[in-house]
Amino acid sequence: MSSFRYPLRWRLMDALERAADLLWPERLSRFTGWLMIAPALLLVGLLVLGLAEMADGSLRTLDRATFLPSEELSLANYETALGSATYWRVFGRSILGATLATALTLALAFPYAYALVRVPGAVTRKALLVVLFLPFFIGQVVRAYGWLIILGNGGMVNEALGLVGIAPQRLLFNFPAVVFGLVQYLLPFAVLMLAPALTAIPAETETAARSLGASWVRTIWHVVLPMARPGLIGAGLVTMTLALTDFATPAMLGGGSQDFIANAIYDQFFRTADQGLGSALALMLVAAGSAIVALVLGLFGAGTLAMGARR
Amino acid sequence: MTPLPRPDRAPEPGQPAVLVRDVDMDFGSGPLAVAGASFALARGRFLTILGPSGSGKTTLLRIIAGFQQPTRGEIRIGGQAVTATAPHRRSIGMVFQKLALFPHMTAAENVAFPLKMRRHDPATIPGKVERYLDLVRLGGLGGRRIHELSGGQQQRVAIARALVFEPELLLLDEPLAALDRKLREEMQLEFRRIQKELGVTTINVTHDQREALVVSDEIIVMDHGRIQQHARPVEMYRLPANPFVAGFVGVSTFLEGRRTATGLDAGGAACAGTPVGAIPEGAPVQGAIRAEQIRIEADPARLAGCDTILPGIVRDTIFEGERLLYLVEAPALGLALQVYHHDPEEFALFDAGAEVSLGWNARDLLIFNRQDGRDGR
Ligand SMILES: Nc1ncnc2c1ncn2[C@@H]1O[C@H](COP(=O)(O)OP(=O)(O)O)[C@@H](O)[C@H]1O
Ligand SMILES: [Mg+2]
Repeated sequence: MSSFRYPLRWRLMDALERAADLLWPERLSRFTGWLMIAPALLLVGLLVLGLAEMADGSLRTLDRATFLPSEELSLANYETALGSATYWRVFGRSILGATLATALTLALAFPYAYALVRVPGAVTRKALLVVLFLPFFIGQVVRAYGWLIILGNGGMVNEALGLVGIAPQRLLFNFPAVVFGLVQYLLPFAVLMLAPALTAIPAETETAARSLGASWVRTIWHVVLPMARPGLIGAGLVTMTLALTDFATPAMLGGGSQDFIANAIYDQFFRTADQGLGSALALMLVAAGSAIVALVLGLFGAGTLAMGARR
Repeated sequence: MTPLPRPDRAPEPGQPAVLVRDVDMDFGSGPLAVAGASFALARGRFLTILGPSGSGKTTLLRIIAGFQQPTRGEIRIGGQAVTATAPHRRSIGMVFQKLALFPHMTAAENVAFPLKMRRHDPATIPGKVERYLDLVRLGGLGGRRIHELSGGQQQRVAIARALVFEPELLLLDEPLAALDRKLREEMQLEFRRIQKELGVTTINVTHDQREALVVSDEIIVMDHGRIQQHARPVEMYRLPANPFVAGFVGVSTFLEGRRTATGLDAGGAACAGTPVGAIPEGAPVQGAIRAEQIRIEADPARLAGCDTILPGIVRDTIFEGERLLYLVEAPALGLALQVYHHDPEEFALFDAGAEVSLGWNARDLLIFNRQDGRDGR
């Protein structure tokens, strides 16, 4: 007697396949690929529709008497945005803040990801992962509030400073605080994008570099960093985009004085109720983000985001 | 029969290029990865460490390279103790199992890398790179990226990179294992040619006995972390020190029995053989006979002159091209012998079930004491 039993999982698969065959007969299999990506296409389509709607809205000025968008189309909202020193400042702050945050995040994420990939012990690796993910679980709002407790005027840091006789410092609601908050928020994303790129570098390659006479520093500089380039580009793109469009960090750690573009858009939509100006700002943010991504792709290639396609 | 002397370590005059003394490696889990390894290698020689997977070859090589600290023992390179010296200060070029070339550099940049890292005069670097690319027959391909080169060409880049800074010692950790057979055999001869041309002392690691026999001046056979024998290829093949070596290098059949005055007695069948070392009569022994040293004939009269002649029945016939491998059951011994048959004259072919006669000479059945030496199977 054969002791082989047809596994339950296989029987389940058979039943599912028979059901699927009724709903989606074999001869339609050419279109199966399209069926699979249909939900994603639908979502992207909705997004495009929304953008089109916004584009339309951005061409209509707000009638201050009726609080209704105008019938006729004009570029007045764009003129307002581009003619305003405040918006230029917000825009410049967003780009500078996002660039600084990206650079700092990559600088911190690289050694962390490297340690994560190369530590010999499974326990140490798990500990590093947990520490990395802890802020994820806490969420952005609670985390920002935590910074208020730690860095506020009556916070823990200032109390400690007071013990050694230093007057309270203003540690919050300034530009460095926002950049700092962004770095802390973005670090896990960057590490998670870098780790696979570093895993793909064989430890033997580093051993080889060492045996050929390269010091540890030179091995990192001449071998590991160049080989990790796709990961650095991918992580940089994701980090930059997230930072540039972030709302919560500038709002909470900037205290209203350090607005990024997303905060300005929020104000137009939900405070002033000027949908037209808000839409114009939103489209300009999309354009700026796309331009930066296109620039990076053009200069450095798609990195890990190319997903193995030939560059 | 006068017993043959036990083959000893191949002695070499002069200061050894590499000296390994009493090296143990304990990873803390399981038995020692390397146990009591000692050998000396003279300047300019090509040594192959041969052994099955997990026998400790890579560990021993990494200890010599300095990537691993031995639990006990000493390494000397060129007469200097280097046990505590960092790998890149040992003047060792190494070719890795997976080559470990730098994919973001060209072939020439890969070869230039050790020169730059070792701060050679930049003016001399292009000349050296070109010379070594020529040596490995890659002249003109220096500008290619690694992924634009074939497997064999990548091997050559790895060799040039390991040799360009003129190390005292070249270490090869099974770099040919992943190649197809034809390319592997071509690269074996290349290794040999380059090694002879430069005269660089070389230690190669492999589990491929053919490669070891083809490329080496001397061979060390390892098993379970222990050196089983250190000898020249011909000696290793003809005079294996124990049944393990007899079984690992070449194809042998093993017979169990007791030592007699003329050979061994395998359950009543007297087999003529030659003892390795002094073995008292009546002691339990293991005999090993190589497949190509057994003659197979339909007519026993043609085996006149053989010291042992036994009837057999062919159980299986395997055609290997240049020769046939027969599995022949010998009822007198109660086991099947592996027999190579190379017959340029008659192209004789025995089918399964054919009744044949087997014969061999006393010289070719080696008899090992079962008390010492390791089992051949
Ligand atoms: N870093 C290590 N940690 C623990 N055990 C190891 C390590 N490296 C090798 N070993 C063990 O040592 C033994 C010899 O391994 P190795 O030298 O790689 O053999 P070979 O190269 O002959 O196949 C094996 O049993 C292996 O599991
Ligand atoms: Mg190995």
